[in-house]
Amino acid sequence: MNFESNWAFLADSARRTLRRLGKMGAGQAEAYILATRTIETSIRNSTVLTESAIEDMGLSFRAATRDSRVGFACTNIVDNEQRIADTGEKALSVARLSAPVPGFALPDKQKATHVEGLFDKAVVMAGVEDAVDIARRLIESTEVVDNRVCARGGQVLLAYIRKGVVNSLGVDVETEETQAIGFVYGNGVNEGKPTPSCADGELLRSFSLEPEKIGQATGRMIIGLFDSKPIENFVGSVVFEPEAISYQLCDAILGAVKGEVVAAGGSPWADKTDQTVASADFTVYDDAILKGGFASRAFDDEGHPSQRTTLISKGQLKSFLHDATTANTLKTENTGNASRFAGGMEMTKMIIGNGYKAKPEVYPSNLVIQLGNKSKEKLISEVDRGLLVGSMAGFVQAGSGLISAQLGRAHYIQHGEIKHSVKGGMVSGVAFDWLRQISAIGNDAKQYFNSVVPSLRVEKVKVVGSN
Amino acid sequence: MIERGLESKNASKADLIQIRGQRRTITLCTILNGTVETFSHITLGGISARTLVEGKSWGFSSTNNSKKDDVECAVTNAVKLAKASARSEAKKIALEPAKLESVKLSAPCRKPVEKASLEDIKLVPIEAYRGASEASSKIASAKASFLSIHDQKWFVSSEGSRISQESTRVQLFVDIVAKDGETYCPSSESLGHTGGLELFDETSPTVLGKRAADKAIKLLTAKAPPSGNYRVVLHPTICATLLHEAIGHPLEADLAMEGGGFGNYVDKPVMSNLITIYDDGSVKGGLGFLPYDDEGVKSNHTILVEKGMLRSFMHDRTSAANMKAPPTGNAHAWDYSVEPLIRQTNIGIEPGNSTIEEMVEDIEEGLFIEGTFGGQADANADFTFGFQNAYWVRKGRMAEMTRGANLSGNAISVFKTIDAVSKDAVLRPGACGKGQFAIQGRIVPAIRCEITVGGTGGT
Repeated sequence: MNFESNWAFLADSARRTLRRLGKMGAGQAEAYILATRTIETSIRNSTVLTESAIEDMGLSFRAATRDSRVGFACTNIVDNEQRIADTGEKALSVARLSAPVPGFALPDKQKATHVEGLFDKAVVMAGVEDAVDIARRLIESTEVVDNRVCARGGQVLLAYIRKGVVNSLGVDVETEETQAIGFVYGNGVNEGKPTPSCADGELLRSFSLEPEKIGQATGRMIIGLFDSKPIENFVGSVVFEPEAISYQLCDAILGAVKGEVVAAGGSPWADKTDQTVASADFTVYDDAILKGGFASRAFDDEGHPSQRTTLISKGQLKSFLHDATTANTLKTENTGNASRFAGGMEMTKMIIGNGYKAKPEVYPSNLVIQLGNKSKEKLISEVDRGLLVGSMAGFVQAGSGLISAQLGRAHYIQHGEIKHSVKGGMVSGVAFDWLRQISAIGNDAKQYFNSVVPSLRVEKVKVVGSN
Repeated sequence: MIERGLESKNASKADLIQIRGQRRTITLCTILNGTVETFSHITLGGISARTLVEGKSWGFSSTNNSKKDDVECAVTNAVKLAKASARSEAKKIALEPAKLESVKLSAPCRKPVEKASLEDIKLVPIEAYRGASEASSKIASAKASFLSIHDQKWFVSSEGSRISQESTRVQLFVDIVAKDGETYCPSSESLGHTGGLELFDETSPTVLGKRAADKAIKLLTAKAPPSGNYRVVLHPTICATLLHEAIGHPLEADLAMEGGGFGNYVDKPVMSNLITIYDDGSVKGGLGFLPYDDEGVKSNHTILVEKGMLRSFMHDRTSAANMKAPPTGNAHAWDYSVEPLIRQTNIGIEPGNSTIEEMVEDIEEGLFIEGTFGGQADANADFTFGFQNAYWVRKGRMAEMTRGANLSGNAISVFKTIDAVSKDAVLRPGACGKGQFAIQGRIVPAIRCEITVGGTGGT
């Protein structure tokens, strides 16, 4: 069987298995099917190292008993219908050993949202030669910036994705998407001293990667770190560039707006709707219908139609993110945020993986911070003493919002000017305090896996020097 | 079945073909606040082909389908992919020869998970939850997850190797949040080994749950740790993360060749002479018990650093040839669907001769740091990672507890400051996300060193 007939066989088998589960006593049941064809080219130490073609197709079942005990089972060994039926029955058998999930719900039948720009036939038609060409251009454009710069690693990935959701309430949707990813990281060695790694990349839906733009940006970041010096401890203004915002600060916001956390009483914002949680010009929304957005989609991973949801408007908390179960539990609207590609550091999830291997949880699509009107240069020029932080490493502590992050790509600012890059050092504080201390927002948004964010300037940040 | 791929019509176009097949079964049962949050049963399988063409480039192809035609198709794809790059690649890829192996191995397992009922499996996280929840009324959230992974793996190569390996890995994770008013304090504990349910003979799930809960409760009244450079004792739980992230990764040859922190310092001193570091995939019970790697190379006890002198890196066959070193059996893929990378197996530090008490005695003002919340490091050995809690040490005595924060610095610089290593090394579970996931072991003592603490409190 080829890809197309495999898909049809799988989808039909899933529908028949759902009917069978109903006869076996399941109250609700759902099948999620995911098929991917991926071409990958990897870069290592200035060379194109390997070309890979990975094909995968699998499905998972969630089956709930009539008293809402829920089980999950999945497989990618899908060459016969009996194994698919067995997987569905396994989900029901482990459900019977589980406890009832309060408020468990699956979405009702609704029409999927049409979202533009999520499929490009050119990505499907592209061959390994195209991926190799892009990878070479990434290397060359990084290293042409300066002969002390080396492209240490990177990847070009071209993916065709087909996914479908069928459930016992009548949802039966499927969609095709494409992804084109190109990134390169590297470092430089100046007078025998290596710089920290710098990376840049693009996450697109269309076959329009610009390797020269990515490579040159990476090269310029690297040479910007050649003059690094240690700094003293101080409290000052920090301009966080989009890459830094996309990790720690977005994680803090996510930890506070996830419906599951709110339902469990673990969100510090659980009772703060319509109250001020951030500075007055800070607006955030979850946008699953963003044209061409990397995390945009026609429907979420339970089959609920996509939408745009305002989370924070002018500093005031407006809404949380929900899937069918958390919306039902809290008696509010489903925002279509069920995801089987949730990030995070939970060990069991990292071991199991994502897609059909994962049961859905609440997660943002594109978490968008509304653009401000200041250029990065303007943000810097208004700082008396502070830092420009391009990247940092470290995690935000769930619940408390505590951050202590090691500076990666960072520069020291004095009297409105960048003086030198920073060697070592950390920033520490509480993310929820930082949101209230935002003094300006940049006009320079960039797309990451689940966010589209600009630079933010935060006042009174504690900087731990490396002297 | 997968051997037939070696006879497919395109096989002759490749200098080397490696074919891997796998069947994996995962059982996950998570208890959250007393009820089953997740009960999952996962069966996965597939094959992959890796080919070296014209001595210049690798091609790799994988699929979840594993019939005869699919294996042949994967070989054909891998050859085609390698050719696409080989055309313009000038440099040849050298491969260190591997001893041909024909073996069938099963990891030791006294109480197989497969023989336990689903009810019995469910009891493991339930007991851990009970141990935690009964510790205090201030436990706001308690989560316990049992996870078992059963793997059957097959490797065949056009050089003649035929290797079959079977193993089960069992882990238990406990994550606690204690709450008092507006104060939330997380803590976590974990157990893991390659083997069966005998994992819980020594430390019961109840004890593990209670241990995590007791720690979270104590943290409710603890203050934030300070910021700045301190002389510290790192408990094995945090030493394991430092070793893996910030020393282990720069000792992986692919990262070392990126111009990483250890550069070309073989046979030169790189850290305290109290430190000997090794990697060993044959440590029974370790989560990195992997007797043969995914290039068919037998795992070695590889001395990486001997009394402070850099001796070797961890290698796959390509890096070994490039560095003119023997392969060390460190080419591992998370599953059949991805290519092998150079990974740690069970990385360890040889124990020293100090007791923990002696290590604390010599500190005028510092910290005793415990527990990990994970971390990251780059090839230069610059690291940052979280610790769960610490104790102030003043005038050689343990004092009050502090909450967690992050540690940062350059591990090579930090390891030069080590002036004491504890007598006992502990086998710890670990994991890694270098491009693809991996479960690994760490065998670590406590160490005393100087390090930067990024807390928000004062002295």
